[in-house]
Amino acid sequence: MTDASTDRRATSVTVNGRRCEAEVDVRKTLADFLREDGGFTGVHVGCEHGVCGACSVLMDGEVVRSCILFAVQADGHEIITVEGLGSEEAPSPLQQAFVDHHALQCGFCTPGMLLAAVDLLKHCPDPTETQVREALSGNLCMCTGYTGIIRAVRAAAPQMKG
Amino acid sequence: MKPPPFRYHTPRSLSEALEVLRESPGEARVLAGGQSLVPLLNLRLAYPEILVDLNRVEGLSYIRDDGTRLRIGAMTRQREAEFSELLAARSPLVIEALAQLGHPAIRNRGTVGGSLAHADPVAELPCVMTALDAEFVVAGPVGERLVGANDFFLGPYETALSPGEILVEVRIPPAPPAASFVEFSRRHGDFALAEAAVVLEGGESCTGGRVVAAGPAWMPSRLETVERLVAASGVGRTDTGSQRELVEEVARTAEAAVAALETHADATAYQRRLAAVLVTRAVAQALERWSRN
Amino acid sequence: MEASSTQWKGRAVPLREDVRFSTGRGTYISDMKFPDMLHVALLRSVHAHARILRVDLSAALEMPGVVCGLTGEDAGRMTEPLRSLIPIPAEIDAYCLAYGKVTHVGEPLAAILATSRYLAEDALEKVRVEYEPLPAAVDPEAAMAPDAPLLFESMGTNIMWQDRFDYGDVDEAFGRAAHVLKKRFYIQRYSSTALETFGCTAVYDDHREQLTIWSNDQRPGQAMPIVAHSLGLTHARIRFVTPDVGGGFGNKRKAQYLIIAALLSRMSGGKPVHYMEDRRENLMALIHACNGVMDLEAALDGEGHILGMRVRDIADEGANVLNPTVHSILKLGNLTNCYRIPVVRYEVNSVMTNKCPSGANRGIGKPFMCLAMERMMDYLAGQLGMDRIEFRRKNLVPPDAMPYTGPSGALIDSGDFGGTLDKLLPLIDYEGFLRDQQAAREQGRFLGIGIAIGLEPSTSNASAYILSSGRRSASGAAEAAMVRVEHDGSILVLLGDVGSGQGHETAAAQIIADELGVPMDGVRVSPFFDSAVTPWLYATGNYSNKFAGTDVGAILGAARKVRGKLLELAAHLLQKPAENLELAEGCVRSRDRHDHGKTLAELAFVAYRDLLSLPSDMEPGLEGRFYYRPDIANVPDEKRRVRNQLFASNAAHAVTVEVDPDTGGVAILKYGVVHDCGTVLNPSIVEGLVQGATAHGIGAALYEEFDYDEQGNLKATTFVDYLKPTAVEIPDVRMDHLVTPSPYTPLGMKGVGEGGAIPAPAAIVNAVENALEPLGCAFDHLPLTPERVWEEIEKARASRRDEP
Repeated sequence: MTDASTDRRATSVTVNGRRCEAEVDVRKTLADFLREDGGFTGVHVGCEHGVCGACSVLMDGEVVRSCILFAVQADGHEIITVEGLGSEEAPSPLQQAFVDHHALQCGFCTPGMLLAAVDLLKHCPDPTETQVREALSGNLCMCTGYTGIIRAVRAAAPQMKG
Repeated sequence: MKPPPFRYHTPRSLSEALEVLRESPGEARVLAGGQSLVPLLNLRLAYPEILVDLNRVEGLSYIRDDGTRLRIGAMTRQREAEFSELLAARSPLVIEALAQLGHPAIRNRGTVGGSLAHADPVAELPCVMTALDAEFVVAGPVGERLVGANDFFLGPYETALSPGEILVEVRIPPAPPAASFVEFSRRHGDFALAEAAVVLEGGESCTGGRVVAAGPAWMPSRLETVERLVAASGVGRTDTGSQRELVEEVARTAEAAVAALETHADATAYQRRLAAVLVTRAVAQALERWSRN
Repeated sequence: MEASSTQWKGRAVPLREDVRFSTGRGTYISDMKFPDMLHVALLRSVHAHARILRVDLSAALEMPGVVCGLTGEDAGRMTEPLRSLIPIPAEIDAYCLAYGKVTHVGEPLAAILATSRYLAEDALEKVRVEYEPLPAAVDPEAAMAPDAPLLFESMGTNIMWQDRFDYGDVDEAFGRAAHVLKKRFYIQRYSSTALETFGCTAVYDDHREQLTIWSNDQRPGQAMPIVAHSLGLTHARIRFVTPDVGGGFGNKRKAQYLIIAALLSRMSGGKPVHYMEDRRENLMALIHACNGVMDLEAALDGEGHILGMRVRDIADEGANVLNPTVHSILKLGNLTNCYRIPVVRYEVNSVMTNKCPSGANRGIGKPFMCLAMERMMDYLAGQLGMDRIEFRRKNLVPPDAMPYTGPSGALIDSGDFGGTLDKLLPLIDYEGFLRDQQAAREQGRFLGIGIAIGLEPSTSNASAYILSSGRRSASGAAEAAMVRVEHDGSILVLLGDVGSGQGHETAAAQIIADELGVPMDGVRVSPFFDSAVTPWLYATGNYSNKFAGTDVGAILGAARKVRGKLLELAAHLLQKPAENLELAEGCVRSRDRHDHGKTLAELAFVAYRDLLSLPSDMEPGLEGRFYYRPDIANVPDEKRRVRNQLFASNAAHAVTVEVDPDTGGVAILKYGVVHDCGTVLNPSIVEGLVQGATAHGIGAALYEEFDYDEQGNLKATTFVDYLKPTAVEIPDVRMDHLVTPSPYTPLGMKGVGEGGAIPAPAAIVNAVENALEPLGCAFDHLPLTPERVWEEIEKARASRRDEP
């Protein structure tokens, strides 16, 4: 697949509780690894230069941008993607709040928004509107004007405690 | 938008990291949090042959009090510093600046040392570290050396670090009685158009301070004329009348002080004025905080 | 609006797409994996304007993982030239890759196919290109000069379309005017930048002569004929599939990329070939909204009535050879906004420059038209010393004049603009704000309020382009749908317009559920468009806010065919007249005896399996297809009047701001919108679209700009430089609704989606000027960057100091 002369490493990442292993080119981004080697296509690639937030995942519980991390850097770490938050049958309270408040339209920013919100609620279980806005300001949404997203995060906060 | 090929090293110790740098001078780049470097790689604006990833090096992430100074390990994540109670108690100015640095996802990964070594001319940390008169511990092939903030930042993206060296620690002097950091950016979390940091010294009356502006200049720069004004004023902690006069005088002189700096080609009259406005606001806020102490 | 308890329409039903997307289970184009898929990287011009002397791929083709490559010359040999949809002064040999010359920075001129995108990008660096740089035409006014550098020498000019439309005796109106005012306005280049970039995967099977394209292109009906013509394939040999689309906003379309992927697939022996724009490519070279210059001149009588208007407009189309004049045509349809202005002159100039090609973008031309018009309304009120709201009210088209036809033939089918304003003022606490503003001014603070009202016409009528093209390449508006009761009684709906975030799956299901008397769960609306099974026509796609105008008609038409057949079949089986039957609770049943009926599953059993139980003259199956066209679309008349778009929503925006005179910063304090899109099918969808569009308008007013330097280099090529507003910059927009149903759409609905983006820039500039009224600042350029605001304040202060 890739140039044999490039530097490759055996990489093992725990994604949503499951081991995901591959030998990868050291320059492969974590986003590409999760999508291509792990099949976690909920990791969306929006800018590839660390600005839009669509590719956000949790690494050891903290939100990071997977397009500006290399897969090899996640070796031995735990990653949670949007698929790990809940399923269509059993969404997390935050995901359910996104549906209840129509906090999305095209859905492309949504995974990153959700994971940024999880990170926020961990540090700040009962955020003010301003705190939600600031915490999500690294995630661009072109569709909603953010209104529904902010409502959803605040509405879900009490159920996400603990 | 994919990064070019490179060779990748993950040293486990500082000596191992320095060894890699020594063996390939000029070809290797140090990877800390990667929040600035990796975008440059993805855009193919940087082509390092070797990346030396410090993320698995032991012992570079800590915040501790050595009795006189606060020591922050270079690989301490910005987010960890932001939530540090020690830092909140001993140097809240740093936390004030961190809260305006990028976004949580950036700070979760970005490091204190990485931001300082990258030396973006409008980054928050170089500005406040200059105002705090921090010192930088630099490790190199022949051991460690200590560099003062005034000597560390040499220009845009340029520091006193030579190719074989790694920034390992920042040392922050005891907290001043009052300080302020003010920035103005287009959007929340953006690099600032201009910013100012002010640190006041003294007990019941002001004996001096450091006033730093960034934006129009090549690097965060101390405004000595404004500093002299502050020192000469000797305003009392609760003397709001004299403080108001001092702020007015700063407002009158700050723009000339900024204009006297070596400014970069893109700096506009607006950016110089903005820096002066922010310097004035930072002085006013520092005085106001001091009077409330 | 109250919905009856049995009705799905009108309810804020949670969106079924939201469940899929909020759990990360959408299937976007780049999520579709194919075995042995190959990846494309495109080499793009570093010059704004240059002749291509040589493109040498040889070193690149030696690179690891590289399969093959393609240049513009290759494309010239292998494909038919792409012809402009609107005739331009000379036919240009345009292909999927730059041919002979490059005309803007970022124009693709060679393609490399490799086993991964990483390797394809590595190989790009080995492509050798020799350019002969040429002077660039950058400023649109300068580009119109006879000695300007020409993008295409054979055209002899950069002006693609120049015309003058006199709707009535304009000079007569100006002759008797008590007041005349002329102003110039500019708009910058910007774009909606959907978060998902444009992408496609093509499989070209040469043996079977079958090309399959999967793409998030939002206008498959238009892309299909372009691709077919270019490759010399019949439509019957092309299958086009649209998966989930991560935002569209008009500009997600580029047939050239589909052709590149198809050619490379063919060259690689039929392998799946994937091309996905990266963000830099998306910002440099997909589609920008035109920047432009507009001179607006208005004539008033002594009482403050607008007698007539002269508009001279220059649209900077960039290097748009394929689909120009769209912005100009839509401005023509919106010249007089919500106002009764009897006569208008429109001088149109559609000009090429060495910039990214222009094209559709949320609102298309209407944001600029509204910006100029609503800024002008403030200036005119000021000149008359009238209150700006009273001045607007005086000139509004009144509700009793509906449906109203404006001077250019544009139709306003419905609306109560005064009623919209009535609701807006309390929403923003207009009177209270004026008091706060006065108090703030006394403290030296600068608070301001801006009002803008805007028409939001939807559903484009293709015959409007006869005005710019002089030929009838298409006419009318339409969409197609299929509704089928499946063998088990479940219901499948296919719609030509798959949507890109507008909730079509939910909205269509609401309509069908009511029409066929079934719960919404029983209706499956396919999230995919597939040209092999979905009915479609040239108009098919997701654009022009057309769901209300055409899609609803198609869905209803198809459902009613099925409904009629269900009734007929049930009447036969139940031995009851059809008029005594009703569709409810998943059954066709007797109106007076609810237990006497047949379930849809029972009817489907007969329709598909127990065929001898059908009436002898009945065709088996329960499928309805419908191609809907609104009958109010027309062609230009002898006075060149036409209904450009067919159904007019409207909105009034009010915004309050505080300007920091020392930093030039503009802070939005409150934002209010009253919106009227007729009957509301799903309030959640409507509110979401209005909020999102308003945010985009705020971005255009304060943040977003594709600025080019004098050599034609684009200064914003990443999201670090192209600033989209974030959750901190966008305020909580307060909303209210007015419902004036359209008399011409099947459910009284009107379009929604572009609206907020149309009046928002005008409202914000009006507010900033109002805030700085004590200083007398005027702004004719957007966005209102802090630097621009500060400079105007400095200028105003300096001129005050200079006054004796």
